[in-house]
Amino acid sequence: MQSSKLFRQALAIGIATSLGFANAAIAAPDAGEYQLGIISDDTGPIASAGISYHDGADLAIKEINEKGLAGEGVTFTLSVKDSASDAARSVQATTQFAADRNILAIICCVLSPNAAGVSQFAIQSGLPVVIYGATREGLPQEPYITSVVALPGPQEVLLAERMAAEFAPKKVAYIKQSDSDIQSARATKVQKVMEAVGVETSAEVFVLGADTDFSGPATQAMVTKPEMIFVWANQTAGIGVITALRQRGYDGQIVTSDIISPPAVFEKSGATVANIPFAVSFQPGVSDSSTAQAFIDAYKADYGKLPDVYAAQGYTAIHLIAQGMKSLDGKPTRKALAEAIWNITEIEHNVYGGQQMENGQARTPGTLIVNWTKEGEVKRWEK
Amino acid sequence: MEMLLDFWAAYSSTVVFAMVNSFIALSMYAVLSAGILSFTTIVFAAIGGFMAAQMIAGAGLPISVAIMGAGLAGLAASVLLAPLFLRLETHWMALASLALVLITRVVVLNAPALTGGVNGMLVPVRVGVMEMAIWLALVALVFYRLHHSWYGLATRAVREDPSVAATMGISTWRIQFIAFAISGAVGGIGGAGMAVTLQFISADTYFLGAAFTMIASTVLGGSFHWFGPIVGAFIFTALPTLMQSIVPSIQDVAKGVVLLVIMIYLPRGLVDPRARKLRKAARERQTLRDHHAPLEPSHDTILPGKTSKEAKA
Amino acid sequence: MQLFLEQLINGVSLGSLYALFGIGFGLVFATLGILNTAHGAYASWAAILGYYAVEWLQVPFPMAVVIGTVGGGLIAIIVDQVGFQPLRGRKGGMLGALITSIAFLIVLDSLAGTATGHQSWAFRPGHYPDGLIDFGPIRVPQMQVIIIAAMLIVGIGMHLLVQRTRIGAAMRAVGWNEEAASLGGVNARVVILITAFLAGATSGLAGVLGGAATANISYQLGEGLLLKGFAAVVVGGFNDVRGTIIAGVLLGVTEVFVSQYLSSTYRDGVTYVLLLGFLFLRPRGLFGSGSFIRA
Repeated sequence: MQSSKLFRQALAIGIATSLGFANAAIAAPDAGEYQLGIISDDTGPIASAGISYHDGADLAIKEINEKGLAGEGVTFTLSVKDSASDAARSVQATTQFAADRNILAIICCVLSPNAAGVSQFAIQSGLPVVIYGATREGLPQEPYITSVVALPGPQEVLLAERMAAEFAPKKVAYIKQSDSDIQSARATKVQKVMEAVGVETSAEVFVLGADTDFSGPATQAMVTKPEMIFVWANQTAGIGVITALRQRGYDGQIVTSDIISPPAVFEKSGATVANIPFAVSFQPGVSDSSTAQAFIDAYKADYGKLPDVYAAQGYTAIHLIAQGMKSLDGKPTRKALAEAIWNITEIEHNVYGGQQMENGQARTPGTLIVNWTKEGEVKRWEK
Repeated sequence: MEMLLDFWAAYSSTVVFAMVNSFIALSMYAVLSAGILSFTTIVFAAIGGFMAAQMIAGAGLPISVAIMGAGLAGLAASVLLAPLFLRLETHWMALASLALVLITRVVVLNAPALTGGVNGMLVPVRVGVMEMAIWLALVALVFYRLHHSWYGLATRAVREDPSVAATMGISTWRIQFIAFAISGAVGGIGGAGMAVTLQFISADTYFLGAAFTMIASTVLGGSFHWFGPIVGAFIFTALPTLMQSIVPSIQDVAKGVVLLVIMIYLPRGLVDPRARKLRKAARERQTLRDHHAPLEPSHDTILPGKTSKEAKA
Repeated sequence: MQLFLEQLINGVSLGSLYALFGIGFGLVFATLGILNTAHGAYASWAAILGYYAVEWLQVPFPMAVVIGTVGGGLIAIIVDQVGFQPLRGRKGGMLGALITSIAFLIVLDSLAGTATGHQSWAFRPGHYPDGLIDFGPIRVPQMQVIIIAAMLIVGIGMHLLVQRTRIGAAMRAVGWNEEAASLGGVNARVVILITAFLAGATSGLAGVLGGAATANISYQLGEGLLLKGFAAVVVGGFNDVRGTIIAGVLLGVTEVFVSQYLSSTYRDGVTYVLLLGFLFLRPRGLFGSGSFIRA
């Protein structure tokens, strides 16, 4: 009896896939509680962002369970293993999740090296992984590894074009983090745009991610008298650079990336980060879709603070899994879920006002160019 | 049975990491046992690790060949370094080795052709549990044989008192040179082990974090017997995983506290051949006293751990 | 010229932090024979204490500096009495103390992570001296002037304390030989406590000032100081306050100038090669007076 039902289900899935579509009206996953896993960064050097990702994911789970977004009667629980951003511990957590038959899929990884290690193991053991933080190119692998983080590039280009058009500066300086391939690639993109319209590069200054003292680099950039300074580095270093520039009285325009977008950054640095334009795809106060508003309200109610761009990504990762889950029929398997996730071309439930997926990789959603005001609000940036 | 299989599948990688860390700890023990505190193990591990990664990812060689190559590379590096380091006094050697670890990171970051630079290197294959176990068994066998050889005796003499060792005709320089060579080879193997278990290595893989945790696990396990470092490596690898399932929020604090408590109450580590001998001696005395109580009155003032002369005698 | 002057001051100020931090590190190394990897954690904790004093108790910045400095000293005493005291008299050598200090490094860093909510904090603008001082051709941030002044005052004070006072003589005596020192009427226990406190306090001072100047108050603050402070101590000769100060400042200036005139890529390489060079060629440091007695 049992086996014949299974057989029929398998047949149905087979037909559905061979026809190239799964009819949502007929297909439905079996009701029940399913486990997902998160390899979190709750402690360790990047825990400030890591905790946000985790909170966003928790919120998504709660919402999905309340509203049945992953299918009728389908609920998720999230099993947590903290990696402390350590590569070895990330891999160990992956093996433990892979061995636990109850775990259907996992989300993880802020750091690209850890994401690379986890992905390799997950592919070998057939465990679906949705990456929510690491931005290295080429991480997605059909069908098991997908990423909800847009690759860097388009946002920087937009931002740079806007700066070039509105300020028409003659000389700009770039402060880049040389020991991060991603940050330096992003800075180079900006530099290309600026140089293409004839803006002179007055200085290219390199800092290291673990540095703390930026008085030297700040002086080095300022002495060339640039009208504008682009800062591209990780959060701690980037804010350190901006603070150093302001401390030594630089009053030209500073431009940076979404590293200063989290509300916690304004809480820390206050007016120092005000009036610095940056490009993001989600920001409380500016993102105005109904989904975004609902997310912001729920987040505030649960955690007593505003969500940041990282929380939004953790939230999106879980919703991607839910969407994949909903399209399945019967008892979901890891492989079927992975394929369903891989085939998603648009994340329905997102806070970006639209989120396309292509070959398991999120495309850059709508870009907002914004800045902090002195009062701690985020507004669309205007010259 | 199925539960057992699941448990094994979940924790097999912890076991593999523990085995890999055992190599690193044994490499540190190799020099410690000859009276040298040195962090050069991490340097040898880096050399072995990137060597193995290149052999596997670049040349497509099998893991076992790569591990052998890494061991040889580590050996070569240590043989070159040892004469330089042995010119320094012990304390300066510790500092110099630390400086060398710092320099290694800078070199790794700035030699992208060999190491992938800031991007690090992906290693496409993973080592099996059995293969790693065989390697560890082989290395452990070597340490076992050495422990019971003339060389083992000589290292203990050099560690306890170099001047006494000299009067016994033992050349401290030669013993410590050999110790460095062993440390290099084993460290290289350990570094390769890290490459084929993490499957991703970069400058941060071989840095101070590893240096500090590994010297700690070596001493925690016991630096007076070759089995100690292996025990220490297993405990230090398993501890965070264990704490994760009990109280995740204090997993690191717990690691530090365990280390502290052991250093205060068992300063010679968990595996301590002297303590074992003392216990054995005490037991023998106990039996002796039970049989000839009136004849052996003086012995009950001697407590285990209080005197080392008694054990040596 | 203006660039050179500004970078020189950047370098001296950065180096002053290394020196300030290194003084205590070297003192503990020379007097107590401990290679203390937890020394950086004192700096992190001092900065955190200073930060919360300003945020919660609304104390002015100078008071926050005092709180951080004293706090660093007290933590150092606790660490010494809990961790290092049981090892004394066991002749465990440097190894036991090193491992114990690693244990404290793990514990203190991870507690500091919890205390800061794993965030990096900064004194808010206006809560610390964040203005500029005009020196004719160049303008210098107030914090840099404060750091250089603090280093000079503490450095000279510590040098005089160690070389000219009875306490200093006692410290040197304990460093020389603890047993002989107690025979000669020196209370070793008190000397140890004073040494630990001074070391923690100078590290703490470097932590609060550095945290304010670099806008980075987190558990990672101490690590950077530890590596560079360690280099300053080795180059300067570990039981010589003058040597540590000069070496620290030189390292800071070298770092800034290498980034400015060569490349930031080689910056750390130059520092550490210098460090290794000194170890091999001039292991006694700049003034060549150090020696390990407790070995």
